[in-house]
Amino acid sequence: MSALPVIALWLGALALNTWLSGFDTRATRLAVALIFGATILILWEMIVRIYAIPPVILPAPSQIGASFAANTAILWTDFVQTILKGALTGWLIGALAAVLTAIVIDRSPFLQRGLLPIGNFVAALPIVGIAPILVMWFGFDWQSKAAVVVVMVFFPILVNMVAGLAATDPMQRDLMATWAAPYGASLWKLRLPAAMPFLFNGLKITTTLALIGAIVAEFFGSPTKGMGFRSSTAVGRLDLPLVWGEILVAAIAGSLFYGIVALIEKKVTFWHPSQRRQRG
Amino acid sequence: MKTLMLSTAIALAAGSAGAQELTLQLKWVTQAQFAGYYVAKDKGFYEEEGLDVTILPGGPDIAPTQVLAGGGADVIVEWMPAALAAREKGLPLVNIAQPFKASGMMLTCLKESGITDPKTDFKGKTLGVWFSGNEYPFLSWMSQLGLSTEGGPDGVTVLKQGFNVDPLLQKQAACISTMTYNEYGQVLDAGIAPDDLVTFKYEDQGVATLEDGLYVLESTLEDDAMVTDLVKFVRASMKGWKYAEETPEEAAQIVLDNDETGAQTLDHQVRMVTEIGKLTAGSNGTLDEADYQRTVDTLMAGGSDPVISKAPEGAFNHIITDRAFD
Repeated sequence: MSALPVIALWLGALALNTWLSGFDTRATRLAVALIFGATILILWEMIVRIYAIPPVILPAPSQIGASFAANTAILWTDFVQTILKGALTGWLIGALAAVLTAIVIDRSPFLQRGLLPIGNFVAALPIVGIAPILVMWFGFDWQSKAAVVVVMVFFPILVNMVAGLAATDPMQRDLMATWAAPYGASLWKLRLPAAMPFLFNGLKITTTLALIGAIVAEFFGSPTKGMGFRSSTAVGRLDLPLVWGEILVAAIAGSLFYGIVALIEKKVTFWHPSQRRQRG
Repeated sequence: MKTLMLSTAIALAAGSAGAQELTLQLKWVTQAQFAGYYVAKDKGFYEEEGLDVTILPGGPDIAPTQVLAGGGADVIVEWMPAALAAREKGLPLVNIAQPFKASGMMLTCLKESGITDPKTDFKGKTLGVWFSGNEYPFLSWMSQLGLSTEGGPDGVTVLKQGFNVDPLLQKQAACISTMTYNEYGQVLDAGIAPDDLVTFKYEDQGVATLEDGLYVLESTLEDDAMVTDLVKFVRASMKGWKYAEETPEEAAQIVLDNDETGAQTLDHQVRMVTEIGKLTAGSNGTLDEADYQRTVDTLMAGGSDPVISKAPEGAFNHIITDRAFD
């Protein structure tokens, strides 16, 4: 009986979105997405209230929102500690190291045969295994979290970059050779630009990996701040709305992080077929 | 013996329909800290009472209170501070029995850190603390000492200790949290002599809080059939505890047999069972209200940031132990 309003709302929103999707304009496309998101939140709120689900199991969106608003200072401190210091630093160091390693591997078949398997091996290390060790090496603060992120993002970027550097045609490389281009010039003018779509693919994949790595690494020892620290301790204190607040921060940060990288990619690889827009 | 046979007969009569199922969620991984329950299960004490008890091991990512709230267990082993904090958060936990009389918690410090007196020497030091509900006794203690836990020269820097003693071995912290029956032994095993350590037991500092009590949801106690089962469960569990106190070697072996991870060793478990025996020796399972009051006072003495803000009501109930031991 009490499920009726839930089903009614869902069907109503479905009908509205189906009708809206008939007009393919920018405004309706945005409206469809917004209505979908709002419906999910309203249904969630309704279900939690109708069935009196305890907040320990699943807090209502309104509770999460209230907790988010009340704890902005804590959430900001955690965001700076985990995302800006831990994840971003680690991601930048890891990406830079991976790109340089890829160029070195690309120059030498010997390293290609030796280094890539080692990279493979490192990629297969479980985070729960390396995190405590890195905490031991680099201490409790964000440095050890950044180190975990470096290990996590290094390999996906490396593999993409190695593939990217091999992405040019023999014809293009021969052309560089006929112009007597030295290695450096051919790398800078031909092969690095050609590798950019591959590199950005790796960078985009690793944005979320970096967040996960930095958050999970905090479970293995941390100062008393950070998103992983807060989530794990707030669960112990049954402050689930705060845990969901952290989840919300992670979701927003992850989307922004990915979005920014995708935006830079658009600017850098404007020439690539995947970046051509269809006029709608 | 007669009652035993009688109860067995009754159990058999009722048992044809299957024993009453009960699920216990432990606070931590399978180890001698929970010897009493494993002994009661393996020695058939639960079976004699007509119970079929499932024991769920815990771990670093398992909050027993949450498992209970989610219906994943009927009864949990939890520390009173976490239970009372959860109660204040709106989860109506009730203590039904208290097998542990004393607290096994202490801070273990390196002698070279120069700490001899908690009242004067913690300032500016880094201390390792467990979280996930285990931080409450520590926070209460610090606020009683008037020390901020936000770091700085006049406070203490708290680091979230993992589930090991590395911060002390690495000298990342001056002191770490240890249990008498577990981590303290790990520090010794790592090759640090007892003479190079200074320990501060929460019991000696007057800030001890009750550990490893049995808790259920309030609604469980409204169900007569469940109350009957819990009476049997507590009676059999306490029998298991007393058995473990008297025969530590056998109890340690039973724990080992139940450890599916294979992470525990017999020596370590024998030592743990012996130390745990010191904590359970003073209790027949009935909660001592003076101990309860001391725990509440400690938690409420939290200065600006008390663990619980008002004295709990109905947080314990003697109904089970009264019926189990009359």
